[in-house]
Amino acid sequence: MSPSGLGPVQVLGAPVPLLSRSWMVTKLTIRPRLGQWSKILVGGPDLLPDESNAIAVLYPVPNGGEADAFTVQDPSGKNSIDISQIYVYATVPGDTPLVDSFYYRTV
Amino acid sequence: MNRRELFGKLLGAGAAAFTVGAIQASSDGSYNGPPGGSRGSQLVAVMSGPFSTASSPLGLLNLTQIPQFVAYLRIQVHPGQHGKIVLASSSIYNHWNQFDDAAFAELWPNYDGSTDNGRSDSWIMQDVNWQNTINLADIYVYPEIWGETPLVTAYQLV
Repeated sequence: MSPSGLGPVQVLGAPVPLLSRSWMVTKLTIRPRLGQWSKILVGGPDLLPDESNAIAVLYPVPNGGEADAFTVQDPSGKNSIDISQIYVYATVPGDTPLVDSFYYRTV
Repeated sequence: MNRRELFGKLLGAGAAAFTVGAIQASSDGSYNGPPGGSRGSQLVAVMSGPFSTASSPLGLLNLTQIPQFVAYLRIQVHPGQHGKIVLASSSIYNHWNQFDDAAFAELWPNYDGSTDNGRSDSWIMQDVNWQNTINLADIYVYPEIWGETPLVTAYQLV
């Protein structure tokens, strides 16, 4: 299991996919970036900025403490989560929620 | 004393800076310990205690230099220290000027216990099948303040 190499994802004014091309992972976590002031919405391609269709709404952590997080993991240990189908939106344009994704690869 | 007993003795003595190379296993030297995807029957801590990156001029270091596969990994900020802890993949080397722009996780410091009832921020990764699949060499740690030491715990099934 290795990190996918994703990190902060910049959200300018509309929901954006975590990755523009299909990429399958086994575990995905999205957190507000510590110190930023955005609420973070997580959803699919139909996510809207007004929280319609959101599967998670994460509160910001501007002053320290453990970040709120949305996590999903394949229970059988397979790469089954296509992160190009996961969209995020930050209520403050330019904020950068952190994306933590791991996938299985053969070494 | 066999290798496992020696290992337990080392951990029992609080060997914070234990050298992961001590359980070298692969015949070709390409990894330490059990191979990736294996699953043993006994859980053994292969890393514990404060992890220092100070030996690297950049203050950036992966958890092991040679691949070592574990079933469970936990990284926690060291209570009382003041800097954020950046966790990243090797893509961090594409961000020379700003390592935290490559972070997949940032851990907030817990220098006085005033937030979250004193609970320290932590990052946990676990294989759902309890197989040794998490490659420690793929996880890079960068303390914002040079010399600070997040607490790293890694368990392997041997």
